Amino acid sequence: MSFTLRSVKVPPNSVNLEEARSRMFEFFRLACRSIPSIIDIYNLDEVVTKSQLRTTIAAQIRKNSQVTNPKVIDMLLFKGMEELNNILEHAKQRHHMIGQYVTGQHGLVQDLDSKDKGMSDFLKNFYKTNYF
Amino acid sequence: MGLGLLASRAIRPFNSSSGSRFLLRTIVSKPELQSPESSAAAADASPEPDLPPRTPVGGARVHFTNPEDAIEVFVDGYPVKIPKGMTVLQACEVAGVDIPRFCYHSRLSIAGNCRMCLVEVEKSPKPVASCAMPALPGMKIKTDTPVAKKAREGVMEFLLMNHPLDCPICDQGGECDLQDQSMAFGSDRGRFTEMKRSVVDKNLGPLVKTVMTRCIQCTRCVRFASEVAGVQDLGILGRGSGEEIGTYVEKLMTSELSGNVIDICPVGALTSKPFAFKARNWELKGTETIDVTDAVGSNIRIDSRGPEVMRILPRLNEDINEEWISDKTRFCYDGLKRQRLNDPMIRGADGRFKVVSWRDALAIVAEVAHQVKPEVIVGIAGKLSDAESMMALKDFLNRMGSNNVWCEGTGTQPNADLRSGYIMNTSISGLEKADVFLLVGTQPRVEAAMVNARINKTVRANNAKVGYIGPVTDFNYDCQHLGTGPNTLMEIAEGHHPFFSAISNAKNPVIIVGAGVFEREDKDAIFSVVETIAKKGNVVRPDWNGLNVLLLNAAQAAALDLGLVPESSNSIESAKFVYLMGADDVNLDKLPDDAFIVYQGHHGDRGVYRANVILPASAFSEKEGTYENTEGCAQQTLPAVPTVGDARDDWKTIRALSEVAGVRLPYDTLGGIRSRMRTVAPNLLQVDEREPATFGHSLKPEVAQKLNPAPFKSAVENFYMTDAITRASKIMAQCSASLLKK
Repeated sequence: MSFTLRSVKVPPNSVNLEEARSRMFEFFRLACRSIPSIIDIYNLDEVVTKSQLRTTIAAQIRKNSQVTNPKVIDMLLFKGMEELNNILEHAKQRHHMIGQYVTGQHGLVQDLDSKDKGMSDFLKNFYKTNYF
Repeated sequence: MGLGLLASRAIRPFNSSSGSRFLLRTIVSKPELQSPESSAAAADASPEPDLPPRTPVGGARVHFTNPEDAIEVFVDGYPVKIPKGMTVLQACEVAGVDIPRFCYHSRLSIAGNCRMCLVEVEKSPKPVASCAMPALPGMKIKTDTPVAKKAREGVMEFLLMNHPLDCPICDQGGECDLQDQSMAFGSDRGRFTEMKRSVVDKNLGPLVKTVMTRCIQCTRCVRFASEVAGVQDLGILGRGSGEEIGTYVEKLMTSELSGNVIDICPVGALTSKPFAFKARNWELKGTETIDVTDAVGSNIRIDSRGPEVMRILPRLNEDINEEWISDKTRFCYDGLKRQRLNDPMIRGADGRFKVVSWRDALAIVAEVAHQVKPEVIVGIAGKLSDAESMMALKDFLNRMGSNNVWCEGTGTQPNADLRSGYIMNTSISGLEKADVFLLVGTQPRVEAAMVNARINKTVRANNAKVGYIGPVTDFNYDCQHLGTGPNTLMEIAEGHHPFFSAISNAKNPVIIVGAGVFEREDKDAIFSVVETIAKKGNVVRPDWNGLNVLLLNAAQAAALDLGLVPESSNSIESAKFVYLMGADDVNLDKLPDDAFIVYQGHHGDRGVYRANVILPASAFSEKEGTYENTEGCAQQTLPAVPTVGDARDDWKTIRALSEVAGVRLPYDTLGGIRSRMRTVAPNLLQVDEREPATFGHSLKPEVAQKLNPAPFKSAVENFYMTDAITRASKIMAQCSASLLKK
């Protein structure tokens, strides 16, 4: 199944924002449909659920929500497709997946609290490191 | 004749130019050295060159006490003015010429036995040893002539005759005087084919490694031991090629300054045992910082490689430690690697510590601190705390509503009002002017080895008299044991005691009271008796202040300057929340069982045994902090190595905790905390400058306390293990096992 995606060609540029938007949803659905096989390939069922992965994908897409240039969206789409291909081809290893999509960039310890809102920069830095 | 020699003779063509001369050896390196006299004469004929002024070696300055005593000598044709009595070598240094030397050391007596410092002096038949020759008016010294060069080359050849060629495995390699000078002045080959002599290595204890075959008999170590350290342990045995440095009988070197012989040894004969084969000096990064193991604040250089402290060396500071440091300072560094706390921990219900995140640890501490009443919160700063963190601790506790904060070792009711009452008013270098010492309840040899070295120097230089009141102990200079308790002090104050006349007849008398007295109940009475002696003996005058307190810990002076004084003397008995900032030696026996103890520190030492929460902190080698030494000189440490694990600087932890507890401290940076310190104790920001006390003892109120006749106790039981770092050190443990054996 994974190699079927390989034949995906670079699509022609989106004409307008609408087209780019629909392509993005297309991509999101494709990624969501691949989640079961990703979990299967990388044995992720013990560390993450399907819905968590879906949230991660959505969060990655939402990160670029402010982009309005269709060309840029096409480029981001291409990168996303590339990444998905790599994942499905098992070009990554399990710890890559866990590092990038399960625990995220902040590492394993993520004790974010609701009272951290009013925290000063000093305290935020203090929890991270001694050197600031 | 060896096979190789035969072979080389066979291969070597006998060219006929030099006739019958045996060609295998030609040692003389340059043709002009073959007839040095003639070239010296030629140099004479040349006219006086107009030389530009040179800078003296090492920025040396000359002080003329009496302008008439100045004499003029010529070094390489360059005229210099020097005071009468200087040696030729010193004159050359003033003129900016560095003379090679092995046995000469500016702080030791002159031996003149290595002959490396030979220079040519006009109208002298032979080259003279410049270190031992007094400079005379109009002397024409030549340091760069063929005669001098040949003399050095010859001396070098003789020194290398018996010196092993083991530089690749020698720890001195790279910082060896012999290595450097043989490169600069030596010949490129030696003529000696005989076996080199070998000497049995001596066992000088756990600190100094000896490879006596490498020794060149400069006797610097012998002179250091007898003159500076004040112990007669080392000496010379035998003569000629049988000459050896040793301890006469099998004996360890029992001085607390013994590590300095490693520095003064010009070759690799005496090296550091813990540092042996650990690193080369060129791979090390030096950080100039301050020592915190005692209250002297010796200037040190921490040599580190990556995250590891490899060794500690002294740094020159004429006012504090000259160029020596004590063994505790030099060898405590392995304690920085052992027993370290690296993660915040909370004691669980089973009594075991569990690693938690900083977030959780601080949240729990803040919660407990708010559950108790403000009066039962107590904060104790440890003996290694820097001024910044003590300031933060005091501010934090004050904001929590408590004022029960103090530094360990200052006693229950310290006198922090008059600065002259807790610092060394004479200053450490000022002790050299004294002629009578009265030591009250203090043993400077174990409490502050560098101060003791200063007293020893004074006793040797101007025959100062030393009187001592306290438990029986051994001094390394002549000392009169007057008594053991305050009764003797009383007798002196009343003028009955013969030592009182010594004080009152002295020009510059000095009284040193040990900080161990702070722990006594009757310390105010003792201080008032001491002040009576000072008043009657004219110890404190406008031009001389001889009344001193010798502190024990690096944090004490700064703590008293910052006003870390407990509100009530029995706050420990009622405490429910105790914040120990590196305090390990505070007596917690009277603490209620349900008290909550937070230990913030860098070592799992005594303070941890009862702690409920551990917050890891950085040690003095890992942080920037201000420390004030016993004479009132503020100095700063610099970080040499990174912190261990998840540790944080002390003041940062307290600043973070204050925010979690909802009483946020108003500073975020070291600069901010220092400007807060400026409002409390501005002298702590005058770095590297001694700030004398403004007001004298005369302002003190009358004391109604009764004197307790109980004898003084010794403040330091084991010189080698006094704080968390030294107690964790393996080398210090070996020292206390082998050197303190009675």
